[in-house]
Amino acid sequence: MAKKKIHIENSVRKLRFNNNEMTQQELADLVAISRQTVVAIEKYKYTPSLELAFKIALAFNKEIQEVFFINQ
Amino acid sequence: MNMHIKLRNTLAEITGASVAMIWMWYNLTEASIMTIKSVSKVLAQGIGISIIVIIALTILINIFSSIVTGNYEKNIEDERDKLYELYSLQLSSAIFGISIVIILVLLGWFNLTINTGLIAITFSGFIASIASLFLKIYLYK
Repeated sequence: MAKKKIHIENSVRKLRFNNNEMTQQELADLVAISRQTVVAIEKYKYTPSLELAFKIALAFNKEIQEVFFINQ
Repeated sequence: MNMHIKLRNTLAEITGASVAMIWMWYNLTEASIMTIKSVSKVLAQGIGISIIVIIALTILINIFSSIVTGNYEKNIEDERDKLYELYSLQLSSAIFGISIVIILVLLGWFNLTINTGLIAITFSGFIASIASLFLKIYLYK
């Protein structure tokens, strides 16, 4: 179990559109990251730290598990 | 020009380092008959040239990009940048460290001249830097 690689996915893209079609730049400004990092997170190319994941969840007023989840 | 600021700055750094390496290469063609003093001067000037070219290119590329796209892009550094910086630093340290050992072995056991040793150490630093910059480009892509 410990060695099994887990794939963390997210619903950032969907949540952005559900939040008045928030742009990537707006989200980036809200959580103080670059737009490229938002792009990388949405494409699952980069998994954010726990702190940044919480910040993103807070930006959408969601629980962290609603934004970031494991694809079984 | 449709690339973000991190890629533009990294490309400017690669170009600056490459220009300096080429300049040093052409000024060290007769390194075997040059004194340590003159070799050191060329190497120090080369390092200075790389710094100046990198700064100038970064400014010029970003001004040109701002004119073309019509907006100013801020260079925000976040946790992803720091992580990629760490990866590239690890790679450059590894390359430079291995190069130093190889050069010392060549100096100690294989009669490598001190001039060539100095040049090799400086060039390995530049090569390590360029390799780490290419890694950054790969990670940002």
